[in-house]
Amino acid sequence: MKMDIKHIAELSRIKLTEDELKEFTPQMEEILASVDILKEKDTTNILPMKEHITFDSLRDDNPKTSLSQKEVLKNCKHTENGCAKIYGDVFGSDEG
Amino acid sequence: MQKMTKETSLLNNPVKIASIFSMDIDENYDVVIGLEIHIQTKTKTKMFCSCATGYFHEEPNTHVCPVCLGLPGALPTVNKHALELCILMGLAVHCEVDSEVHFDRKHYFYPDLPKGYQISQYKRPICHDGWIKLPSGTIVEIERIHQEEDVAKSTHHIESISGKPYTLIDYNKSGVPLIEIVTKPCITNAKDAKDYATRIRQIARYLDISDADMEKGQMRCEPNISIQEKGKWQFKDGKIISIGNYKLNPKTEVKNIGSITAVEKAIEYEIQRMLEEIRSGKKIIQQTRGWNADKNITEFQRSKESADDYRYMPEPDIPIIDIPRSKVEEIKTQLIELPDEKVERYIKDWGLSKYSAEVISSSKESANYFENLQKKLSKVMNEKDSAKEASNWLMGPVYAIANKSGKDWSQLNIDLDELADIIIAFKDGIFTKSKAEKMLQERVDNGCDIKKEIEKMRKQKSENSTNIETIVETVISENQKAVEDFKNGKGASIGFLVGQVMKATNGTANPNTVRNILEQKLK
Repeated sequence: MKMDIKHIAELSRIKLTEDELKEFTPQMEEILASVDILKEKDTTNILPMKEHITFDSLRDDNPKTSLSQKEVLKNCKHTENGCAKIYGDVFGSDEG
Repeated sequence: MQKMTKETSLLNNPVKIASIFSMDIDENYDVVIGLEIHIQTKTKTKMFCSCATGYFHEEPNTHVCPVCLGLPGALPTVNKHALELCILMGLAVHCEVDSEVHFDRKHYFYPDLPKGYQISQYKRPICHDGWIKLPSGTIVEIERIHQEEDVAKSTHHIESISGKPYTLIDYNKSGVPLIEIVTKPCITNAKDAKDYATRIRQIARYLDISDADMEKGQMRCEPNISIQEKGKWQFKDGKIISIGNYKLNPKTEVKNIGSITAVEKAIEYEIQRMLEEIRSGKKIIQQTRGWNADKNITEFQRSKESADDYRYMPEPDIPIIDIPRSKVEEIKTQLIELPDEKVERYIKDWGLSKYSAEVISSSKESANYFENLQKKLSKVMNEKDSAKEASNWLMGPVYAIANKSGKDWSQLNIDLDELADIIIAFKDGIFTKSKAEKMLQERVDNGCDIKKEIEKMRKQKSENSTNIETIVETVISENQKAVEDFKNGKGASIGFLVGQVMKATNGTANPNTVRNILEQKLK
């Protein structure tokens, strides 16, 4: 199985060097190939195994206490005015 | 509920002529529009956790828990009421409701999406294949309505010292229930798109599914627009397909539309922009553009050459939810008469004009106010006349007063009994219409006691009616100049004399009666 690791990295907003691409591509392919083994099993006439629940068992619309703002922002590297502060893109790569 | 009518068969014909408004539409092109509308539904808690919604004006990051923060190991629990509202919306727009709910993960990385995926629905939306009828009679086909969750609110800034761009994130909005309503690409002009968005908003409000305030982001419209050469394409099975070798023009999607009027303006702008591209020999590219309400233009955001790759997969943390038919029937009982049905009834049963019927039914509150007023008036006049009087008064003086204060007539502090009393007193000839209008305005401005005032005027009126002749005689003797003028053939001066009598009776006399008496006496 041939994989476009570059595309996956872009979608995940991760920057990979050419060397990393070369290194990771066969690794990822190997992982997928191991999952491919499952394809060997004939699953005709086997129903997908997913649990069903009833509509009435769903959660009622009653609010509960949320975390405090302090708790919410506890793991943030930067905050401002009660908000999480992020430099650059998703992973704060532009912090400098 | 209405059943599918034969009007829908219109849709099997290729699209009608696009433009009905005064725009420069090229006669060689058809306009093809599809609309995606997102609506935040009115639940107390979020879609997959028990955090309270209602984040407007709240301190940031105070309606947040491990689930809506996307912390590892946190598991979603589905909000029952949210699904009920989604189904209710589906039923209101004549959709089929699926027997199962399947959630999927839609992946993309952005700071406003803490899990790295949005829980949404991909192949099996809860509701599919619906339609609504616009005031113009056009049917808009709805492809699907699915349930998903909102993302966090992000605001973008530049740091003053370092000049670095940064984003501030408030997770209060993260996980608020959101339904997405998607039409088929069957809308053919900007006006219909606007009317469609208006209808959807009305329905959501009528059924208390959402407040659907676009300025607050509770409703968002994203049209996708393309122009295609006439006769070179067709609308088939809900899709636009080319005929022969014709290559379909790509579409643009417009975002950041903050009001219903902007839906129409943005589409009109896009049509012109694409026509100009074609005329100047350029190639239209598939892209996402943003509406700039200050400049009234759309601006390039990103090209769609790198097609979205959301890597959908079934949501493993949420089991399949069975929707028994009995549940759908139970939700169906919440359907009330919707605006298009009201319009039809007002016209058919009560003979209102289409325009009045549309204005009156534009909100549930104003329609209820009208219907209750009609009911009160029908105690003293017949059904149809009551409706016409109620409509005339609401659409006339009451509308004018309400409009001045930027309100709906149901929001004015005129209670129904008072308004009915005024109308009935006017019909009884107790005072003139302009006097009635003045009373309404005073009621709104100073909160005067209308009941008392009307009683007083009725009394005065009965006194006046006995001595109106005396008043007329006094007016004649005090205004000899006008009397002479009238006798010399200047007919208009009788108006002045009527006015004097009206003034003397405090506006309670019937001007026609006064005129008759004057004419008799001046013969």
